[in-house]
Amino acid sequence: MTVSLTIDNVTADYGTTRVLEDLSLHVAEGELVSLLGASGCGKTTTLRLVAGFLQPVAGSIRLGDRDLTRLPPHARNIGLVFQTYALFPHLTVRANVEFGLKQRGVGGSDRRRRAADMIDRVGLQGLADRYPANLSGGQRQRVALARALVIDPPLLMFDEPLSNLDARLRVDMRVEIRRLQQANGTTALYVTHDQEEAFSISDRVAIMNAGRIMQLDRPEVLYSCPANAFVADFVGFENMIPMRAVLESGDAVRARMADGTMLMLPKDRFTVPAQDFLLAARPEGLEVALEERPDGIPARLGLRTYLGRGYQYQCSTPAGEITAHGPLTQPYEPGMTAHLVPRPEQCCLLPAEPA
Amino acid sequence: MRPRTHPLLLAFAGLVFVFLLGPLVIILGAALSDTSFLTFPPRGLTLHWFANVFQVEAFKRTMLTSFLLAIGGTALSMTIGIPAAYALARYRIVLPRALANLFVLPILIPEIVMGFSLMKSLAIGWGMPIVASLLIGHALLVLPYCVRVVGASLNAFDFSIEEAAVSLGCPRWRAFFIVVLPNVKPGIIAGFILAFITSLNDVSVSIFLTGPGVSTLPIQLLAHMEQFFDPTIASVSVLLMFVTVAVMAVVERTLGLTFLTK
Amino acid sequence: MSSRLRAWLLATPATLLVLVFLVLPVLATLATTFGDPKGPFAPYAAFFTSKFRMAVLWRTMEVAVTTTLISLVVGFATAWVVARAPRRIKSIMIIAAVFPLLTGVVVRSFAWLVILGKNGILNDALLRIGAISEPLSMLYTQGAVVVAMVYLFVPLMVLTLVGVLEAIPQDLTEAAASLGATPSATFRQVILPMAVPGLIVGAVLVFTGSFTSYATPQLLGGERQMMMGTFLYQRAMVMFDWVGASTIAAVMVVVTLATVLAMSHLARRLNPVAG
Repeated sequence: MTVSLTIDNVTADYGTTRVLEDLSLHVAEGELVSLLGASGCGKTTTLRLVAGFLQPVAGSIRLGDRDLTRLPPHARNIGLVFQTYALFPHLTVRANVEFGLKQRGVGGSDRRRRAADMIDRVGLQGLADRYPANLSGGQRQRVALARALVIDPPLLMFDEPLSNLDARLRVDMRVEIRRLQQANGTTALYVTHDQEEAFSISDRVAIMNAGRIMQLDRPEVLYSCPANAFVADFVGFENMIPMRAVLESGDAVRARMADGTMLMLPKDRFTVPAQDFLLAARPEGLEVALEERPDGIPARLGLRTYLGRGYQYQCSTPAGEITAHGPLTQPYEPGMTAHLVPRPEQCCLLPAEPA
Repeated sequence: MRPRTHPLLLAFAGLVFVFLLGPLVIILGAALSDTSFLTFPPRGLTLHWFANVFQVEAFKRTMLTSFLLAIGGTALSMTIGIPAAYALARYRIVLPRALANLFVLPILIPEIVMGFSLMKSLAIGWGMPIVASLLIGHALLVLPYCVRVVGASLNAFDFSIEEAAVSLGCPRWRAFFIVVLPNVKPGIIAGFILAFITSLNDVSVSIFLTGPGVSTLPIQLLAHMEQFFDPTIASVSVLLMFVTVAVMAVVERTLGLTFLTK
Repeated sequence: MSSRLRAWLLATPATLLVLVFLVLPVLATLATTFGDPKGPFAPYAAFFTSKFRMAVLWRTMEVAVTTTLISLVVGFATAWVVARAPRRIKSIMIIAAVFPLLTGVVVRSFAWLVILGKNGILNDALLRIGAISEPLSMLYTQGAVVVAMVYLFVPLMVLTLVGVLEAIPQDLTEAAASLGATPSATFRQVILPMAVPGLIVGAVLVFTGSFTSYATPQLLGGERQMMMGTFLYQRAMVMFDWVGASTIAAVMVVVTLATVLAMSHLARRLNPVAG
């Protein structure tokens, strides 16, 4: 049973504070969509609205053709994995997993068999009679997963499920979660503040800020073509240089920076989106060239740090402090003058946003 | 979002709070009544009965005894209880685990048994003066409060701060006074005040240890009630409630009253 | 100085205070009961064969158990409301529970003397509305003692259980709801089992407190409703029967300690979380 989740124009308040503003989101059948953002961006609020722990002041939430908006949480039939796991400490692993089946009136033998199957599937063989207090973090996480999956819900939701695990286990568990979700073909909504986690696990990712979705797309698209300065900054375009296109001549556009310095952008490599625009560049998207280049930003190299795959320089430029990466083969000395040449595959041009 | 509480349950809880506070309001009303017998609602208002409290020599004397005893007993208990609490929190591993239980023994043993045993051994067996055995009895009675409330603060204290002070050249004993104590001050104040009120209100231990010439206010009140039944008792009770209010204010300012639900 | 020595130096005064001035005298009291010239267990034989003494023991048990059960029900319902109340109202309710708790037992028992007395407020009110024509004698009955004891211990129970209920993470009730548990199923299958250890702690506090109380039965029960505490006092200070009083004390210590041990064992068994 796979269905889609539709959130339509939902607005939500905490007391007198608006935490979600007119948010819409569609998660297709069998798709995993992540809500990604810093704490307070509204991602957990969205999840709690879908779960029914919060009531929206406007808008509707549908699961397939079932309207959830006014249903109490226990009638929604959604599998939920909590950040704290929220395992019942007074119940064994088996009883935790059976809990949801019991509520659904699944009879004794059927219930035991389904719970045992699920405990095996998440790799907890032999631990069914333990109490949560006697399990490791990773094992608890698996119980939480089994407990949510065993009720065979049309929608699975995850609230920062991996944030209490150590780094190695985090990677293992996210592969596991993805595997189980795809094997069941369950529609899923996944909340996290970890970009790598969201990108690695999701079909699509919604980057959120201040109660709104800033961009919703496939991870590849978000990573290479952010739609706005917020998303660009979020996915690692550290340098943001405001420019104005002043002259189009032949195969290049000439752009002026705030202080008047000119930069030539070859047309075969860059498409200027508007007259006023931002050049967003990752540190590795700026090539450090020692010779004079009309398509480079003049810079004086400052502090050098070693990164393993190369060196990073703090550079003073007419557009302010800029971070750029230089090759490993040749460390440059602080104080040298250079030009920083944008590489199109690691840079993008965004229309300037009204201040 | 909180699931709503059933209205019947709300009404029931309301009644419980009426039950809890009503009798105390009745005492207040009775203390203000311009009648020579206890009644509620008060008929005519007067502060005459409060003045009367201070006319009765026995009340004046026992009030003073009770206050001094509560302060003295608590101070004694704190003086030996704080080092013990510190030792338990700081050197938990080297001390036997049973020691912590020993310090709460005064709660475990019925107070009335404690009072009776102290009278037999201290007052009669060892011939201690009444005041001394009262002081020791009350110090014992409140020791669990001193050790546990201060201990709760000490357990939350990060002892690496003390080590930092020592590493900066501060002698250990001094580090205790200028680094540890200031950080557990709320616990000490709250513990002191809870111990104080426990001692002030005690009946079961004191009833055996008071004697000719030396009594405490609760014991005097009990004796008075069995003979007279006038609003003076209500007035004394109201004065004691004022002490309660003051105690609550101090606890609220130090650890917060929610401390008492833990 | 080794840390072991330092630890012991700091803990010694308190240890001595308890050992010398509490453990020793209480042991001496217990020893008294075995030193009887009529044989080591004679005082106990006398206690357990005396109709009157057994009646006192049973009455005390009955009052303590009744008080505990009523306090559990009333306290749990009230704590439930307090724990779920909005912050401001909650702190007002906590103040309302702490205030009587910190007010002395004499004052609180006195209030019921004023209410339940022959010329008391309740009789006065009932007479005035014509519900009765003669004042009822409510004082010196077991009911009066129980009412005053419940009054004494409900605040303690409420505060204990508010702490217990608030320690149950909201995540758990939400998890139960997400798994399809109705509010009443969540209450029965999650909240109640998790509150049991706290309920046991509360029950022990109230039982031992009421079993060993003195002032309340003295004021509201009098001679007619003699309980273990008042009986001990009377034996010791009115009849100067120290062996008899010591025997009563021994029975009280045994009952109290047995209750505490049995209940904490039960709490541990019902609470695998701690293990």
